[in-house]
Amino acid sequence: MKFSDETLRAYLEGNVDEAEATAIEHAVEADPDLEQRLMALDPFAPVVQTVFEAIPAEAPQINLPDAPSEAAVHPAGGAWRLLAVAASVAVVAVSATFWATRPAPMGWAEQAAIYQSLYVPDTIASLDNSNQVLDTQFALAEEQLGRSLNRDALETLPGMELKRAQVLSFNGKPLIQIVFADEQGQPFAFCVIRQGAGASDKDVKQAVLSGLATASWSQDGYGYMLIGSSDQSELDGNLDILTATFAG
Amino acid sequence: MGVEMSSEQAVRGAIQTYSKRVWRFGLALSGASDVADDLMQSTCLRALERHHQVTSHDRLDSWLMTICRSIWLNEVRARSVRKAQALSVTPEAELISTGSDSETNIFATEVFTQVMQLPEAQRETVMLVFVEGYSYREAAALLEVPIGTIMSRLSNARQKLKNVMQHDAADAV
Repeated sequence: MKFSDETLRAYLEGNVDEAEATAIEHAVEADPDLEQRLMALDPFAPVVQTVFEAIPAEAPQINLPDAPSEAAVHPAGGAWRLLAVAASVAVVAVSATFWATRPAPMGWAEQAAIYQSLYVPDTIASLDNSNQVLDTQFALAEEQLGRSLNRDALETLPGMELKRAQVLSFNGKPLIQIVFADEQGQPFAFCVIRQGAGASDKDVKQAVLSGLATASWSQDGYGYMLIGSSDQSELDGNLDILTATFAG
Repeated sequence: MGVEMSSEQAVRGAIQTYSKRVWRFGLALSGASDVADDLMQSTCLRALERHHQVTSHDRLDSWLMTICRSIWLNEVRARSVRKAQALSVTPEAELISTGSDSETNIFATEVFTQVMQLPEAQRETVMLVFVEGYSYREAAALLEVPIGTIMSRLSNARQKLKNVMQHDAADAV
């Protein structure tokens, strides 16, 4: 049975007889399109909605227990491990908040910058960066990534001490974070993600993300990002070396 | 970091996203903002405890609403209704923010009061459909009643809201 908009409006205003009201209600049960039409014509809904949408004026306070740490790939370690756990808890909280409030999904660069923004000199000060440990980390990272990380070039970046290569993941894609300490012990990072053969190349773009100077680019199915220790970090020198090293 | 989101992360995110919605539903159920505060808090804790039950990250809003209502019906309602009878609670019109346009505020306060004076079953239905935009069948599933019941509750609510709406229309001319 077809109902005109006029009839549906009359129903919504309570101006149809009981038989017709029942007929409309039965029809709606079987017909989601009719349901949508009826809802759209309802003159009461927008008024009530406008009044109640403003309530409560501020988001209610909720006290939740802290999130437990998420299992990540960490090499065994001592004090830094606690820091990493603390950092990952914070990342979960930060990520959840961002996830909840941002309309568009965040890209890997934004996520990596948020994570990196939690690093302080103490995060990396006591990392074991002996050759043997780095050998293991790089072997694992390069296997996940499917390409060389040019460790020789990374170890000789001017003013940077190579501290660790860590396997992470973004949307199921391997993401390698390589951490350095600059001459003041401040944490820098170079991240590489495998985006897949279909990903388009992107020129170097510098931006401040999560309060950190960053430079990111994409080439041949991989994304790269250099992250400084503050929004003022000078990236240009090492950026030139890295773009040349990782070209092709 | 950006690993596949765990059910716990998804639930925490949903709590942030839908906190106002759950609070309003708590208000619709209980008719009192202090009870809505408690219901909101209990709902979030319960949801976190049960995050492992989440199989899909879609429609976590409905899931939170269902938890809220179940806490209301099973744990809070009897106590609150007794208290409300004892104190003869009136709708808390002060929840309507006082803006600059007093005409609008008076009307908003009237609508608020009318809705809050509806019987609980109509109030919860009005909140889900009119305010939160759930379809009749979604509201029916959430409240575990037939669609026809949702529609008749809304019809009854419209009859009572008609007075204040028509009053407003007359004022506007």
